Amino acid sequence: MSDATTIRPELTQAALEAAPPGRLKDDPILITFGMLKTFGGIRAVDIDHLEIERGTITAIIGPNGAGKTTLFNLLTGFDQPDRGSWRLDGRLLGGLPPHRIARLGMVRTFQLTKSLSRLTVLENMAVAAQTQRGERLERALLRWLWQPEEARLRERAQALLERFGLAHMAGDQAGTLSGGQRKLLEMARALMADPTLVMLDEPTAGVNPALTESLLEHIRELNAEGVTIVFVEHNMDVVMDISDWVVVMAAGRILTEGPPQEVVANEEVIDAYLGRPRDAADWEEAEDA
Amino acid sequence: MDFDIIFGNAARAGLGPQAAIFALAAIGLNLHFGYAGLLNFGQVGFMMLGAYGTAIVVATWGGSLWLGIPFGLGLCVAFALALGIPTLRLRSDYFAITTIAAAEILRLLIRSSPATDITGGPFGLQAIANSFFDLNFLPDGRFGWGTFSYSSNQLWVMIVAWILVVLCSALVLALIRSPWGRVVRAIREDEDAVLSLGKNTVAYKLQALVIGGVIGGLAGVIDALQQSGVGSENFEPQVTFFAWAALILGGLATTVGPVVGAVLFWFLREGVESFIRELSEQGWLPNALADFLDGAEGAISVVLMGVGLVALMALRPQGIFGRRRSLHLGT
Ligand SMILES: Nc1ncnc2c1ncn2[C@@H]1O[C@H](COP(=O)(O)OP(=O)(O)O)[C@@H](O)[C@H]1O
Ligand SMILES: [Mg+2]
Repeated sequence: MSDATTIRPELTQAALEAAPPGRLKDDPILITFGMLKTFGGIRAVDIDHLEIERGTITAIIGPNGAGKTTLFNLLTGFDQPDRGSWRLDGRLLGGLPPHRIARLGMVRTFQLTKSLSRLTVLENMAVAAQTQRGERLERALLRWLWQPEEARLRERAQALLERFGLAHMAGDQAGTLSGGQRKLLEMARALMADPTLVMLDEPTAGVNPALTESLLEHIRELNAEGVTIVFVEHNMDVVMDISDWVVVMAAGRILTEGPPQEVVANEEVIDAYLGRPRDAADWEEAEDA
Repeated sequence: MDFDIIFGNAARAGLGPQAAIFALAAIGLNLHFGYAGLLNFGQVGFMMLGAYGTAIVVATWGGSLWLGIPFGLGLCVAFALALGIPTLRLRSDYFAITTIAAAEILRLLIRSSPATDITGGPFGLQAIANSFFDLNFLPDGRFGWGTFSYSSNQLWVMIVAWILVVLCSALVLALIRSPWGRVVRAIREDEDAVLSLGKNTVAYKLQALVIGGVIGGLAGVIDALQQSGVGSENFEPQVTFFAWAALILGGLATTVGPVVGAVLFWFLREGVESFIRELSEQGWLPNALADFLDGAEGAISVVLMGVGLVALMALRPQGIFGRRRSLHLGT
């Protein structure tokens, strides 16, 4: 296990050996250790150890208030944990501001869609491209320095929009799109940033079934291209359909994780999330104690 | 009733140095708020630093005007950094509150007695613009017709000021159409989204603050030149609000909005004031009302402008040149 400890320096050998089955991944792109975030008295996130396998689609499920969004905020630098460390491709991310984390390849979307309303759809895409020369103030007026890059970037944006069925709206202001189209745009925009790991917070919430279907298709395609995907989802059909791995959260903690078929069969999950008659749940708890 | 006089007065103000000064201030504010979403209520602070920086170098230290102007604009850069670095990471309302307080504190410092040796305190500084007017190639005398006329030196200031207005408008337009400007406009829409795409939003906001502030500083420099002096009473908080009024009148986030807004603001302000004065002089007003208005024409005019602006907001909230659709998409 010497290899296992070199990529997980925060973990003791004992902790590694005690890890629940499935928790240690063969080739983790993201490793989180001892992550705690409290709001007042609430432990919004309290995760000992979480790993995301490279190149997979991981679903995070759990009831409202389970801490999924907070976990996303912590991992992407939008919020600071009380304690804990996490690594992307071996690199410690603690204390880095969100834009630095995004530049390292972990790009997120938001539960409440954040479209740049008064920018056009194409501009929404263009702004996401990384390391643009013309984005530096000292070159902004030197048009010839960035015009060729800008042309390439538009082409790439158009191609992505084509894929997401938004190409015909490229010149429209993003604020005129429907809710579902905005979700698509937000996802396409995240891809424009060339991420290695995409974190999607409820990508299908409020999206009609037809659009949901195409959105899932995009997630699959992306994954096939080698992008690692983590997404929060409430619809179990969707989870069963596209995820390779499911992490179940409740009250800030990881209840269990595993392949989708295993997770839906798990008693605790049925209790905490999928629902079961109240008295039966009480009975189980009494037995545990 | 002599409409020639009223119209002449209004036109003189609408095209005069004051209008150009407010156009510059509003162009800076437009970059701040219209494009970057920064609520700057302290634009007058930048104007004051541009003006006083220039005047101090010339009048206090006996330096050249051509050193004074860059010094004044340098102070604007420093002010923008001092304002922005601590507050632009915080929620936007902290920044807004800081700007208005900082500008007024600065003014009180400038007019305080310990500062008198440098700033002239309550007396201000005079005779600073000789080398600027030495460059005036216009013949002496007055230019124009009736009340719509300017002295040679006024016209010289106007020419320079309006050229600066055009240059600054073009600069902001070019910046805003560049990829840099795209990031800035994106931040106005949703800063978190832009952060999530790997952009250092604080740096962009700071850059926008500096550039808009320096343009405001230029407005102050022109003000110092046209009066050939500075006085702290010219930099009270209402100056900022007049610049805001001009910007909102013309339309946010447009290129011509701040310029046309400033022209209209001064045209209407002077026109209404002149109209009220004419009414009294012609004896068309009841005596009691005329007595009441006497000497307060300027104040009444500003009040009416305020009412007019409220009406405009109700009827055409996007201003004269703004696009209504964009307004509805605002977040
Ligand atoms: N900014 C905040 N301030 C206070 N409490 C918060 C904040 N954000 C989240 N919480 C609390 O943390 C818990 C987890 O919330 P969240 O991460 O949004 O859950 P989920 O995304 O799983 O629905 C909830 O109890 C929520 O009320
Ligand atoms: Mg959530």
